[in-house]
This record gives sequence, structure tokens and C-alpha cells, in this order.
Amino acid sequence: MFSGKQTKPTFKSYLPPLQTDSKKSPQLPIKKLEAKLLPGEIVVNEANFVRKCISAESCQDDLWGKLVCTNFKVSFITHNSLPRQRFQCTHRLLGEHDIPLACVEQVVTVNDVKGKQKILGSNQKLKFNPTELILYCKDFRIIRFRFDEAGPESAKKVCLAIAHYSHPADPQLLFGFEYVGKRYHGSTGERVSGIDPGGGMQTTLFDCSSDWDREIKRIGASEWRVCTINQGYFISPSLPEFFVVPVSLADQDLKQYACFFYSQRIPLWCWNHSSGSALVRMSNISDPQQQRKVEQRISSAITKSHPLRSDVFKSDLDKNLPNIQDIQAALLKLRQICVIDPFEESEEKWLSSLESSRWMEYVRTFLRHAVEVVYMLESRNVPVILLEKEDRDLSCVISCLVQLMCDPHCRSLHGFQSLIQKEWVMAGHRFLDRCNHLKKNDKEESPVFLLFLDCVWQLWNQYPAAFEFTEVYLTVLGDSMWVPIFSTFLFNCPRQRAENSRVIVIYQITHFYVFFFFFTSLLYFLRWVPEAQIPQGGPITAFHKLSVLTDEIDMLLNQLRQYKGAGGTPNSLHAEHSKMYFKATSTPHQPPAPPEYLSSSFPFSPVGNLCRPGILGSPLSKFLNGAKIWLSTETLANETI
Amino acid sequence: MEKSGSVDSTFPDVYIIFLKLSVRSVYKDTSKGELPLLPEELVQDSAKDVTYICPFIGPVRGSLTVTNYRLFFRCTDREPVFGLDLPLGVLSRVEKIGAATSRGDVSYGLVCKDMRNLRFVHKEPEDSLKKSVFEVLMKFAFPVSNNMSLFAFEYKQVFPENGWRVYDPLAEYKRQGLAKESWRITKVNDHYELCDSYPAALVVPVTITDEELRRVSSFRAKGRIPVLSWIHPESQAAVVRASQPMVGQNGRRCKEDEKLLQAIMDANAQSHKMFIFDARPSVNAAANKMKGGGYESEDAYQNAELVFLDIHNIHVMRESLRKLKEVVYPKIEDSHWLSNLESTHWLEHIKLILAGALRIADKVESGKTSVVVHCSDGWDRTPQLTSLALIMLDSHYRTIRGFQILLEKEWLSFGHRFQQRVGHGDKNHTDADRSPIFLQFIDCVWQMTRQFPAAFEFNEYFLITILDQLYSCLFGTFLCNSEQQRLKEEVPKHTVSLWSFVNSQLEEFVNPLYVHYPSHVLFPTVGIRHLQLWVTYYIRWNPRMRPQEPVHQCYKELLAKRAELQKRVEELQREAANRTASSSSERAGSPTRSITPVQTYV
Repeated sequence: MFSGKQTKPTFKSYLPPLQTDSKKSPQLPIKKLEAKLLPGEIVVNEANFVRKCISAESCQDDLWGKLVCTNFKVSFITHNSLPRQRFQCTHRLLGEHDIPLACVEQVVTVNDVKGKQKILGSNQKLKFNPTELILYCKDFRIIRFRFDEAGPESAKKVCLAIAHYSHPADPQLLFGFEYVGKRYHGSTGERVSGIDPGGGMQTTLFDCSSDWDREIKRIGASEWRVCTINQGYFISPSLPEFFVVPVSLADQDLKQYACFFYSQRIPLWCWNHSSGSALVRMSNISDPQQQRKVEQRISSAITKSHPLRSDVFKSDLDKNLPNIQDIQAALLKLRQICVIDPFEESEEKWLSSLESSRWMEYVRTFLRHAVEVVYMLESRNVPVILLEKEDRDLSCVISCLVQLMCDPHCRSLHGFQSLIQKEWVMAGHRFLDRCNHLKKNDKEESPVFLLFLDCVWQLWNQYPAAFEFTEVYLTVLGDSMWVPIFSTFLFNCPRQRAENSRVIVIYQITHFYVFFFFFTSLLYFLRWVPEAQIPQGGPITAFHKLSVLTDEIDMLLNQLRQYKGAGGTPNSLHAEHSKMYFKATSTPHQPPAPPEYLSSSFPFSPVGNLCRPGILGSPLSKFLNGAKIWLSTETLANETI
Repeated sequence: MEKSGSVDSTFPDVYIIFLKLSVRSVYKDTSKGELPLLPEELVQDSAKDVTYICPFIGPVRGSLTVTNYRLFFRCTDREPVFGLDLPLGVLSRVEKIGAATSRGDVSYGLVCKDMRNLRFVHKEPEDSLKKSVFEVLMKFAFPVSNNMSLFAFEYKQVFPENGWRVYDPLAEYKRQGLAKESWRITKVNDHYELCDSYPAALVVPVTITDEELRRVSSFRAKGRIPVLSWIHPESQAAVVRASQPMVGQNGRRCKEDEKLLQAIMDANAQSHKMFIFDARPSVNAAANKMKGGGYESEDAYQNAELVFLDIHNIHVMRESLRKLKEVVYPKIEDSHWLSNLESTHWLEHIKLILAGALRIADKVESGKTSVVVHCSDGWDRTPQLTSLALIMLDSHYRTIRGFQILLEKEWLSFGHRFQQRVGHGDKNHTDADRSPIFLQFIDCVWQMTRQFPAAFEFNEYFLITILDQLYSCLFGTFLCNSEQQRLKEEVPKHTVSLWSFVNSQLEEFVNPLYVHYPSHVLFPTVGIRHLQLWVTYYIRWNPRMRPQEPVHQCYKELLAKRAELQKRVEELQREAANRTASSSSERAGSPTRSITPVQTYV
């Protein structure tokens, strides 16, 4: 995986030579400038002789190549390799210079000769030939291409194509459909089920009643049952087909109550504390006259399912937590201070700007609220109902956090993914709207899921050994929202997902990256900023050591097993089967040198992914300084320099 | 073990140590029931029915004992047992708050040097002849003001190792690989006549005579001439420390000083340039000219480039820490935490110090250039900068013993005024000479350990121990202001060194993640975004901020696990070898079958 080349002399001139892993052959150079396409992916447009800007001051590091727009991604293919490229962690689906179209937030074209710029949307016209294209990405990257040597027409066309394809008109045009349709053609209807025939190591999808049965059994919630009245989504389109209710509530009653709840969302059981107190999520009751009666019925049924018949505690999330617009506003401010503001100048005000973004405050509010719920469940031993108007945003965060805090199973990798499946995907979090994949309604866009991941990161940061996954995993999971191949984060509700399931196969997020682990809470937000990197440092170096040590232990365990099993001599098949990303060397007692490619941004490379200084040096700086938040499209679209 | 085809498990389940997250606060302080007396420690007074007003859990009633070394409070009315056990050395101020109430209760406030304040309520003794326990406390908390000796001089614990022998200047310069043809160790300061705040052993260029050094000493503030601190083993680029030149308003010059700096530059063949780092802001440096000081003019020092590092003086740092204490103790205002922290400027000062050290290290390492570092007197900002730069440049100083040598050398022998800056046993808490300079340095080291978790042999507990013992006055290490004073007071003879204590229980202080890379230079990132408040030190008294589960613990457990497995594998190996030896003669024909491995994952 790492060829650990030492070509570049570094200023750390007397570092010991790296132990190179010679078994892996270096990547073969791509002979032609051809985009690597996935099944079903087609090239829409392309331009040659495009320059990808790497740094602002000089263009000597810039890369030359071909800019390609497909129905899935913006790809840049080059012969040059990056100047400081040291590691080759490859993404399974995306090349180093690829940006999925769903990740593109804004497409800005510039003609610096004429002093013009335009933010492009779908089906728009461009009256000038662009000399520069800037892509603002949802994952905080800013990528800049120059067309000085490219044909003006082809430059224009590729820009328009990127703008058009990054604004799909309906979800059917999101690439996921094409991809899976092609790939799994013939196996229509056959779903990848969440049950691993071998032994429950896979993520539970909660799309069949047996998944819920197993969950009830795992938790020991004997006073709860699986309810099937929503099969075929006849009751509520946003509820899963199967969910769990108190045994004392009959299907007939539930059907009767359904109409009183917001979008017929019957209260959903989430989980039971080991004391037997249940966690339930519930939407508002739309009819005020019925409110009291229905609420009472539901509450008393929950009480009946409690071992001590304790009364229910209602936790009103809308009242206590920021709403989705607040969360979106906080993220925009955070993005502003993380990547837009000049790095050095914003240095002194970093802490107070961070505070004024309110992002951290919201993270804390959510965590604190979850802790309060845990207190009710654990210390007061009462069942808790999470109340939220639609029960599709804030409840997802709180119910997950509560379970993460109390249930060790949820802190394993499979447990965590099952939790997301249960509380986000099946409970009907509007991923399509919240991610704004169709870029139609900015008001509905909100990074609720990212906020949740940040809350998990905070827990992970306090109790790193309590989690089976690492911060890189969380980061990659956050990124995968912008890769519309995973149906997990593509839809608003289970029905929508199911309706499209004739062509789509649930593609699990686990199959995504070839590795997962660490960063600092800053990894997500600052990974593209070269100034914020610690060369050969950061938590990754500690992880590297832990990883190697764990691998050594695994190796020893394996040897022991072999001795016991066969009585023969252990062989050295270990390396190929190792699960650790950083592997132990064959001589375990020699501490490996810190690999040179390790830095606090690892495994992400800030090179070429944040052309912020360049923007500030170009006529665009005016436009950026003028607009406090660069996303306010309306005001910027009309502005020309 | 079942294993599906995909990469879906990072840790085998045996290694996951699940911790239950608890929302209940677990507030337990030192709950030793018995008063643990040290050798020569004597109980001076005790009182029952004292109330400790804990800012976190409210009033706690108990008994208070004062010895010649510590204050010991033990609650009597609650479970779990709650206690306070602090060396009197950490007290910076003890005061009566308000007048006695009608019930005869008097309130006492104790301001501590380690970021906390304690408050007690106690009945005034009815017998007016009997002293209150707090009056006894004041006597023993400030022995220097009461013409008594510090407890360090009474404490006679014997440790297996003698920490006073940790640092031998000659051995240290030898380790650095001092080139005899360019540098020499002079005896000119053997009796501290040249400079009373410098060590006896000084390293200077061979081309400069002792007579010339004497002339230089009259040109440098407090006689602190430019001398070698560290030399690069390959490039011979040197880190040299000094105090400010006494340039004054008239721009006085000293040709011996100019010659000395030229000689330092010449000792390094790699570069025909040199950098002079003045730690101060340029405005402050210029203002010093009024008082006879100043900075090197580039006219007088050809080929030298002067750089100001903008680090503020001891008064600014003291004020910053005072504000920090206000922000972190006792209550933390969550909603304005970050802007409150910013307004203390503490992290900004840390950043400037680290940034200065980074520039020094970069010039020496990457530029192969010699550097001279000074501030005004060269005993506060200068040791901060040189010792941090040395930690970056030389991995030896990142080991436990190497770090001790660094402190002994750069801080203690070169006369950082510990007595003045900390005010050991002195009740004059408003003394303008007090300043948390050394604490800042340790904070910077801590920031580096965060950025490079595997580069330091010591752990966080080691750094906290050093700071706690800095104030405790249990050990002689940080007493007095200079090497000369320590010799005069016979500190090494009459007291125990902190390093005796530390080196006798090293396992407590070892960072399990440590890997020794012999020539790995650290270049930390000094942006505010990468600096953190050292919560486990500054906010450690707040029960909400207790360190939670550290990775190190988990790592230690894994190390133990590895050792255990290793042993078992070796045993089995031996067994298998024996078996093969005994059976090889019988079954020589069919060895291949047994090689087939049993694959444990599918």
C-alpha cells in the first residue's frame, strides 16, 4: 500500500530510512488520460490542457491534465503526481482528483480578463468564455481549475456540464440509480439482506420483522412487539414497514391513533435501558382536541411495558434544542472561519469566531440533552418519550446519542451502523432534503447528520477505547453523504427508498473505504488547510503505534491458535489477513519509524484541495470579502467585478 | 472467529474495553483516612469542626490538621470520605475574610499557586491566648517570611538514586559532541566572579580569551555573556544564549562582544550568517535603551540578522494567568467559554513562545545557521526559547533523564530565578517579580506532547508532578535563584532532589507510546487551532473536568497482553521444538502434512 518513496529531500535530513513495503508494486502510471469510470458511468463532457491550481503564489506546482464531467463526478486526470504526495490510500470509488457531483456546492466561472464571474446553476447560459472554474464543495474543499491553454469552447462546455449535472432535476438522476441498475441487472428484487448467514457480523438493516425481533431479544424488551400494520406503507409513508410498539397496544388501536399524529407517524420504540425503561420517539399530535386522550393512551401503554410501571417522562426536543435552520447557519459560519478566512489573520480571533459560529454550542446542547435523557432512564428509571414535531431530525440525534452512551453494542462498528440504520434511515430522516442533493430548496438543507457525527466524535474523544471505530471512520462516513451511490443517505424515507429498490441495491457504507480511523476534531473541518498540518505528528502517530501493537497481539494470538489447532509450526500467512491498517513488521520488537507520510491531516491530502489563498490573490477576493458568507448565491450571482 | 469478506472490523473484540459512561459525578478527592506523615514531618496543630466551602459540592464539615509540610482536611460527615491534602508550599496567600459572625465563625481564604482557591469557616477559639489553627498555618506556610527554613531542609527521605548527580555539565557537552578545535570550556566563572547568575562551567569559542570574556561581561546585562547552549552534531550550528547588550541611548559598542559573536559565527563553517533572536517585542527592546540596555545594531554586528519574537514580559504573563484562573476556577461559564479563554490571551502567549522556539529550531536545523537568543536579562524568555528549541532539535531531551538534564542546565544552572518567580515560602504575594514563566514552558512542552504523542518518553503525569513539586518545597531542586546560591546554601547537601524521587519510580512517568527516534527533529504546528488549554492541569480541581479514560491506559494493558502472549508462544515454541526433536527420528518421512495451517478466519 505504501511504497514509501524517498525521492524528495526533506528538511528533516537525518531521518532514518523508511522500512519500505516492497511487496506492493507501485501504482502503474495511467497511459492515456482516460477517466476511470464505474459501471453505468458515462462521460458527459471534457476539456484538455486544463490546469489544476495547487498553490496561489506560483503555478509551477500546478497540474496539467484533462477535466472530465461524468454523470457521477468531476474528474481531473493528470500525468503529474502531486509534489508532496507520500501516501497512496486509495478511495474505492473516487480517484485523488475526483469530486462527486453531489459534493459540489457551487460552481463559479470566472473570466479574469474581462473581470467577469458567474455562479452557474442548471440549464444556464454563459456569455463569456471562462478562464477559471472554482468548485466549492460540501466537504469544505475549494478547487480551482484554469483554462489558459484549453479551447475556449470546450472550457465553456465542460463548465456548463458540471453546473448542469451537479443540479439534478429529480432523484432519479442521481448517479446511484444508473450505477446499481447496471451492476445488479438481472438480480432484480434480490436484496442484500442485513442478516449475515454466518454470524451476525453485518449491519442490521431493520427492513424486515425478524431484524426487529432480534433487536427486541438482544435488548430484552419482552413487553414490546413488532407491529406490521404499515406493511406496504399503507399507514404512513415516512415510517418503516416494521416497527416496535408496546404489547398492550393492539393493531386496531394503533390504526385508529395514526391519523392524529403528524404524517401518521405512530410513536416508535427505539431502545430499552437495562433497567427496563424504554426510549420512544413521537411526533406531534396534530389535533389539539385529541391530544390529551391519545397521549394518555400511548403513555399508559408504555408505562404498562415498564417493569415498575413507572410514569413516562416527556422530553420536548423542539423547545430545548436548536432547530434545523440554526444548525445550518452555524455550519455556514464554521465553514467561513475554517476555510474562507485567511488563515494567519484569523488566527487571533479563532476561539471567539468558533464560539460565535455556535456550532460547538449546539454540539454541547445536544450532548447535554442526551445526558439528561440518560439520567431519566438510568437514575430515575422512567421511560422517556422524545417529542419532536415531525420526529425526523432532532430525535434521530438524541435517540442515537442516548444509545451510544448506554449500550456498548452501539459502539461497535456493526452496532453503530445498525443504529444509524434504525434511528436515521428507517425512522425517515430526510437525507435527500437535508443534503439538498437536488439543490432545490435551500431552506430544507441542514447538516443534522454531520452535527450528530460531531457529537459522536466528542464522545469518542473522551472515551477513545470505548469505540470500535475511529475518527477517520466518522469523517469518511460524513463524506459518504456526498457520494450518491449509497442509497443509505439518498432518500427521505423508507418508502421512497423501497420504491426505488427495484433498481437499487442497498450498498453498505462499510464497503466504502479500504481503511478507517483517526483525526482531531479538526480533521473534518481543517483537513484541507495545509497550514494546519502537523508533519509527522498528530493523533495518527499514536494510532499508528496502537495499530501496530494490536496487530502484533493478533499475530501472537494467531500463532497460539495454530499451535493449539494443528500442533504444527505457524506459518507467516498473517500479513495478508491482518485487519489493521498499519501492520506489524515481521520483527515485532523493533519499533517502526514514523512513516513520513503521516501528518495530522492523514489520510486526506490538503494539497490542491484548498485554493483559498489563490482566490484571495485574484479578483475573486473582492467578491469573497464583500460577501460574509460565500453561499448566499442570490446576492453573488448578480455581482460582477 | 467469523470474518466476512469485507473490511469491517478494526479491532478484534478481545481488545475493546468498554466503559460505561456515567452521568453521575464522581467526586472523590484524596480519601486517605490516615494522615500520611513524611519523615521529619510533625503535626503542628489541628482543629475539629472546620467547614470547607467546596465550590463544587458545597460545605463539608471535617477536621483540619496543619503540619510543618502540609494542610490536611478530612471530612467527617459524609460518604465517600472526602479529603484535601496539599503542601503548604502551594499557598500564595492566606487571609481572614470579613469579621467574625455572631456565632463566632471566621472565614479564611487560601489562594493557591496551582489554580485553586480554598475557603474554610472555623470557630475562633474562645481562649484568646490560644492561636487559631489558621495562624499556625500562616506561620508554616510562609517559613521564609518567618525566618524559618523550608521543609525541604528537614525532609530526609532516602531514595535509591541520588538525583543531584543527574546533570554533569562536562558530560553533557561531551554528549553534544563539542568540537575541541572551535569551542572550549572556560573556568573564568569558576567562583561566579564573572557572572553570579551563570553556572561555573561555560562554553565559549576557543579564539576568545578569558580577559576578553570579562570585558564582554561588562557589556551584557547582569554580566550574562553569550555562551553555548547546544551544538548541532552535524552542521555545528550553535544555539547561544545571553542577556541584552548594554547599548544604551548612545549606541555603545563593545569590540570584544562583536568579536565573540563573530567567533561564534566562524565556529560554524556551514553558514556565513547568524541570527540574533531577541525574544521581546521590538518596542520593548527599544524602550530598554532608556535604561541602558537595548539590542544589537546590525552595523556593529556584520552578517548578523536581528529578529524580534514579540514575547511579552513577566508582568503580562502573570496577568494573563490571573485572568485564566478567573475563567477556569471555580465555575466555568459554558456559553462564553471560548471567548473568555481567548480574552485571557494565555494560548496566544503560548503560541508566540512556541513559534519563537520553532523559528530558532528551523534556523539551526534547516538553515544550518548559528543563533544567539536573548531577552532582557536572559533568564526568563531566553530559557523558554532555548529549552523548547532544544527539545525540538535533540531527541535526548525528550527522554525522562534528558529532560531532567535540560531543566538542570537551561533553567537551574543558568539562573532562572525560581525563588523570585515562585516566591517559595514568602508571604509577599503581591511581589512583582512573581510570574508563571516556568509553568508556561511546561505548558509548551505539553502542547508538543499532544502533537507528537510518540516522541516523548515521559507522560503528562511527569509534567504535572514537576509543577506540583515546584510549589511544594519538598525537594531542593527548584529552590534559590542560581547555581551559586544553591551552592552557598548547600542545597544539594541538605535537601533531596526531585529527580531522586522521580528516578526511583520511573514506571509512573513513562509514556507507553514512546518510540525513540534518534535524530527526529520535531516541528510542531503553532497555530491557535492546534493549541489546546491544558485542561488536566488548569482545570483539574473541577470534578466535571476529570480526565476520562486515557488511551495510554488502554495501551499499557495491550502491552501487558502482548508480553503475556509472547511468553505463551515462546513456551509452545519450546515445547514444539522438543517434540520435533524427539519424534523426528521416528517419522522422518512425512513432515509436509503438518505444515498445513489452520486458518482461523474464514
